[in-house]
Amino acid sequence: MKKIEAIIQPHKLEEVKEALIGIGVEGLTISEVRGHGRQKGHTETYRGAEYTVDLLPKVKIEIFVPDSRAEEIVRVLSTAASSGKIGDGKIFVSSIEEAVRIRNGDRGESAL
Amino acid sequence: MKAKLQIERLRHQLLGKALLRGSIMLVVAAGIMVVLLTPCIAQESKPDPAGIATGDKTTVVDAGGNAFVITEPTDKTAPDYAQKKKDFDEFQAQAAKEPLTVKLADAVGHIRVATNFAWTLNTGYLVLFMQAGFALLTCGLVRKKNAAHLMMLNFAAYVFAFIAYYAVGYAFQFGAVAVNAAPSNLGGTPTLNHFLVGSGLWGFLGGKGFFMAGPAYDAGSNVLALFEVVFMETAGYIIVGSICERISFWSFLLCELFVGAILYPVFGCWVWGGGWLSQLGNTMGLGHGYVDFAGSTVVHAIGGFCAMALSVVLGPRLGKFGPDGRPRAFPAHNLVYVVIGTFILLFGWMGFNPGSTLGATDLRISVVAINTNLAAIAGSATAMLFWYWKFGKPDITMACNGMLAGLVAITAPCAFVAPGSAFIIGILAGLVVCLGVLFNDNVTKIDDPCGAISVHGFCGVLGAICLGLFADGTYGAGWNGVGATSYLGQAGRGVTGLFYGDTKQFLMQMMGAAICATWAFGATFIVFKAVNGVKSMRVSKEVEQEGLDVPEFGLLAYPEDAIHATES
Repeated sequence: MKKIEAIIQPHKLEEVKEALIGIGVEGLTISEVRGHGRQKGHTETYRGAEYTVDLLPKVKIEIFVPDSRAEEIVRVLSTAASSGKIGDGKIFVSSIEEAVRIRNGDRGESAL
Repeated sequence: MKAKLQIERLRHQLLGKALLRGSIMLVVAAGIMVVLLTPCIAQESKPDPAGIATGDKTTVVDAGGNAFVITEPTDKTAPDYAQKKKDFDEFQAQAAKEPLTVKLADAVGHIRVATNFAWTLNTGYLVLFMQAGFALLTCGLVRKKNAAHLMMLNFAAYVFAFIAYYAVGYAFQFGAVAVNAAPSNLGGTPTLNHFLVGSGLWGFLGGKGFFMAGPAYDAGSNVLALFEVVFMETAGYIIVGSICERISFWSFLLCELFVGAILYPVFGCWVWGGGWLSQLGNTMGLGHGYVDFAGSTVVHAIGGFCAMALSVVLGPRLGKFGPDGRPRAFPAHNLVYVVIGTFILLFGWMGFNPGSTLGATDLRISVVAINTNLAAIAGSATAMLFWYWKFGKPDITMACNGMLAGLVAITAPCAFVAPGSAFIIGILAGLVVCLGVLFNDNVTKIDDPCGAISVHGFCGVLGAICLGLFADGTYGAGWNGVGATSYLGQAGRGVTGLFYGDTKQFLMQMMGAAICATWAFGATFIVFKAVNGVKSMRVSKEVEQEGLDVPEFGLLAYPEDAIHATES
């Protein structure tokens, strides 16, 4: 089993969601997060005084999938989330040891 | 250690409460004393609480302001005595021949006053609604963690300043209004006729109508009281814009009692209560005396410079200026509130300025309304474009400040200038407010979270000066008792500015505005520097960092944020 974590631009969420559903992804978890990458935000002025917006709003998607599907999902997700500009985000994939369906105690890939 | 801290905090709280209680008692005691003493002074006119005797044939005038009733001339040495006596005799003969006409005139006079009551009360209600606009504006401009505190300050400002004005403020300001500045549109309020300090053309403090009782328990006086108390409230809430996010509640209540009882009414008496500044045209030949139609200085500069003094006493918010002295931004937490609040203020200003005629029978109200709007849009456009040019993007909060700046600056001259001049005044105000905000942030280092000092203080002074420049003489003949028959050699000429040939009016305006700023800043600074010396008016550093909502009132404006708020 794999966990795919993607940090994307909030306005790309709808496109990504549709693309994932389109290839049969069954479940996903989304959270609103803030952060920065290499650019470290940008500077604005408010009433003449400068301030930095260094933690920008992003959306984090978490998907848990069988090993066999991970590569395809990462590819589709990456295409859907891309605009080609700085700040598009990143995708991380990691291995998962165990999964449990709370309702009936199913374990492993059948719990996904 | 913790117990010791708690004891210390408790001691401070008690001291604050004692100060507050002491000053409330002082105001009440002063009021009661004066109420008891007032009947000792001979009273010639009777108040009319039922409103059945206000408005008769004596209040009937034609469109040009000429009275229907011709009174008997008393000064036999006057050069025009013979003519006046002849007019009087003719009127008497005519009245004897047509008694029904005279009776009808009584009804017309009553309706005239009734029309003006309706106008003045309703415009007063509009001004009252500005309170809601200001609360939204200032709340939107501060940080989320202080939003509830900010709303409570605005709310308590109305309540406590009203109490002070009810007890003594109204009497100080208008207790002698009938002496030199009787509001004839409202029936003249003849019972408010005694100066507590000064007399005749040199009045310094009104002396009748404490607790709005006795001579002030009168229908006409109560219209005036309702309209004027909401003006005082405007000065009262302006200060919130500068002192928020760090002032403790008890000391804020002291500020409001001070504004409502002393600071506002004293200057108000000098200009609108028939006091000495308004009479300098009669006494020193300075134009029409000091003229401020709806309160650029009487209301706004008083609030603005009081705010400035308080901000100096309190010091800037934690972290507002970096170690290198550079100003830091604390961005507004809700721009939607800021814009809606500004629009409500613009709407309320349609009562503030046109209502200041105290009567719909004064048809200049339409010019006043248009002038007010023109200055507002010119101020806002200027601020937007200035910021666009200087910083690359127009700042929404500065666009709103620009509109208010235009409104504040047109408030004094609104009745005396042409629409074109109103537009120019708006542009000037838009520039002054932008430069003022940058000046306070970068030069004086006085922290002004909502721009109250620049909007109300600097642009208030600008408004009074602009009156002295742009007044075109078409309105205000006989203003403050000057030039009733002719002015600058022209019959019917009113208040005139420098550009239209009256240098003295301009000098008078400069002087009056300077006196206003000095009084508001000076009196506030002395009183509250002393209070601050007894006990700090600021909340503790920890409270300021956490946000004032919970420590001061036990509630957050946005309780959904509770987890984050307690963590930070």
